[in-house]
Amino acid sequence: MRTIFGATLAATLSATVAFAQDSFPSGPVTIIVPYGTGGSTDTTARPLAIELEEIWGQPVIIENKPGAGSMIGTTEMTQAEPDGHTLLINTAAISTAPAIQSDLQYDPETDVTPISLLITSPYVLVGGAKVESTDFAGFIEEAQERPMFMATAGPGSSGHFMSELVIEAADLPADVIHFSGGGESMTNLMGGHADTYISTTASVMPYVNDGRAKALAVLAPERFELLPDVPSSGEAGVTGVDINGWVAVFGPGGMDPALVEQINDDFATAMASERMTEQLEQNFAVAGDLSPAEFREIYLRDLNTWEDLAATRGIGQ
Amino acid sequence: MELLANFALGLETAVTPTNLFFCFAGVFLGTFVGVIPGVGPLAAISMLFPITFYLEPTAALIMLAGIYYGTTYGGSTASILLNIPGATSSAVTCLDGYPMAKQGRAGVALFMTTIASFVGGSFGIIILSLFSPLIAEYALTFGPAEYFSLMVLGLIAASTIANASPSKGLAMVVFGMLIATVGTDSQSGVGRFTFGSMSLLEGFGISAMAMGLFGVGEILSSVGATRDAKIDSSSAKLLNMLPTKDDWRRSWAPGLRGSSIGSFIGALPGTGPSIAVFMAYAVEKRISKTPERFGTGAIEGLVAPETANNAADQTAFIPTLTLGIPGSATMALMLGALMIHGIQPGPTLIVEQPSLFWGLIMSFWIGNLLLLVLNLPLIGLWVRLLLIPYHYLYPAILVFLCIGAYSVRANPADVLIVLGFGFVGYAMRLADLPAAPLLLGFVLGPLVEMQFRRSMVLARGDVIDVISRPIAGTVLAISLAILVWTLVGAIVRYCHGRKDLNEPSTGK
Repeated sequence: MRTIFGATLAATLSATVAFAQDSFPSGPVTIIVPYGTGGSTDTTARPLAIELEEIWGQPVIIENKPGAGSMIGTTEMTQAEPDGHTLLINTAAISTAPAIQSDLQYDPETDVTPISLLITSPYVLVGGAKVESTDFAGFIEEAQERPMFMATAGPGSSGHFMSELVIEAADLPADVIHFSGGGESMTNLMGGHADTYISTTASVMPYVNDGRAKALAVLAPERFELLPDVPSSGEAGVTGVDINGWVAVFGPGGMDPALVEQINDDFATAMASERMTEQLEQNFAVAGDLSPAEFREIYLRDLNTWEDLAATRGIGQ
Repeated sequence: MELLANFALGLETAVTPTNLFFCFAGVFLGTFVGVIPGVGPLAAISMLFPITFYLEPTAALIMLAGIYYGTTYGGSTASILLNIPGATSSAVTCLDGYPMAKQGRAGVALFMTTIASFVGGSFGIIILSLFSPLIAEYALTFGPAEYFSLMVLGLIAASTIANASPSKGLAMVVFGMLIATVGTDSQSGVGRFTFGSMSLLEGFGISAMAMGLFGVGEILSSVGATRDAKIDSSSAKLLNMLPTKDDWRRSWAPGLRGSSIGSFIGALPGTGPSIAVFMAYAVEKRISKTPERFGTGAIEGLVAPETANNAADQTAFIPTLTLGIPGSATMALMLGALMIHGIQPGPTLIVEQPSLFWGLIMSFWIGNLLLLVLNLPLIGLWVRLLLIPYHYLYPAILVFLCIGAYSVRANPADVLIVLGFGFVGYAMRLADLPAAPLLLGFVLGPLVEMQFRRSMVLARGDVIDVISRPIAGTVLAISLAILVWTLVGAIVRYCHGRKDLNEPSTGK
């Protein structure tokens, strides 16, 4: 009797688990990429979609909705049903843009469910043709004699906020200059028109490896395991700049916690695939290994950091 | 001799059956995308981008590039036949192409644009294969101050491209610059004239604006108008398509100048073919002994911009491939196609991936040849397109314009913007205001402002520092000279005119 009861219970339980897995996805899943086709976020999302199609057995559609510093696509995601069938893959721009955009049409705390941290890597400070020093400490010294120009990919970009953070933390004599995108910033660095640029490893390392730019520091207390030769900002005695860049998955506000867990697990499986590990390696980045709750904390912390910084540095006013 | 070895290597890569097939598929598709007004290369390449995951990188890039430069071949067709540019960079082609078609020389115009496209494209490829690393290095010396001075030169040189009175032309340039102020401010990130609309934060898109102004405007003004020039199908016959000796004689020098201007402007990552065509057209009109012929079907005004935009298309690959820096949204897509295969374009690409680099360049040659062979027989077909009654043709074009506007960034607001600019274009036609200067102001205005403000940041607010830079200073001095020359010329003409008027009376 007891065995029969136990077997029934086990069967029911496993059926429930199976049911929970079957119920999502019940149809095609749309992943909104708030940037153009062929950009770095897009080229992460597309192979990921191929992996997810295998896991979910449902079509996964990538929809590119560029514009307004990723806010057009993000806003559209927040207006979808919170059933997991509309997701968003965005960069740290989702935490910086609200600090600068006054016309935001959603509440970044309640209308967004942080689901999964996919990729994370530290920000790297690179120096251009005119910079003579090879590390951060030397750079700070050099800036005392020749005030620097810190190039950004545009006002409100993560590189802009990181530059402001570095200026404040290191008391650096420098001015921020905005270009239209990372590519233009890098040309101006190579041409010696501007001095530094801050972005994630994936965007700057190709130039560093080509010898076109110098990696002055990873902005972290310790060196980054994948770039052991690049000094850390901590070594130069600068603290308070240890924020990491990331690519992450979000859903509309008010999603069922169990569903969020499941999607988090499925993305982790997809990220562990050969295709994605290879891409991570090329980009000098690591897969994020966080629960939805842990990632939510980081998301909210970054939102606050940028909002405070925007107020103290007068960004967007 | 190393160059020959490289060419051989490239040819070997480019003529494999797979790569030839993708080259043909690309240019074929590009031609059609170009002919259809509204649907531009960016939309076409974005739609096809996902299949590059399944292709070998060289084949993928060959196809995407084929679409890109193929569009420029096809883009002039609708400009000439319908006065509606098929692509943004062929808007200037309307100025003299459409009058030629009205005179029954549509076949000749299409024939000459195809030849001009081929010449311009070939010129660009030669520059690309011989001087890529050199030019890329040189382009790096261009900072914000240099771009600013170049844009000022463009603005001053090209502001008189329209045949209307100079005051109307200048007013439209300024109007274009004003429209371009809508959007995010480049240095502070604050939205200007966006009225809380997210869609306007990026400003009005150039293609939405050009398509509305020229395309929808043309369609609206055709309502109720009788078709003035019946195009007879005889202009599609081979004999009537061939340019006269006079056409050839007038074309070769503008073709060379157009190719050079296009190659130079195209290679700078901060500019693009739209600027190259305006500059090429302006130069021809300025140095012509008979500038009054421009706008009435002058073949020089057709050949110069057509060679320029095709040359610019090819040299735009220089910064993309050798620096890893895309000059335009379309080039960013090409870069993306390489990056997903783990290939990082940069100074080492030529050394590390010689078969890709040279294979791509040789495929450009083959692609341009294919386009030449493909486009010449198609001329007859396109001219017959005009035999379709406008009440069938125009609604279809209107649909394409809306699809094209939507497809660029999947934003419904862009469709409204196209239609809105259509009404602006219609109103301008009623008031006899030229549209080309407006487009010029719209393209150059924001660049002038943005680059000026950047150069002022870099000079820490010291204007002298900006104008004392060697390249920037020289270009600004040339701009000033042109401005003075134009003003003095106008005053002299004005005085002469008065004398002519006065003389008969004093003679009495």
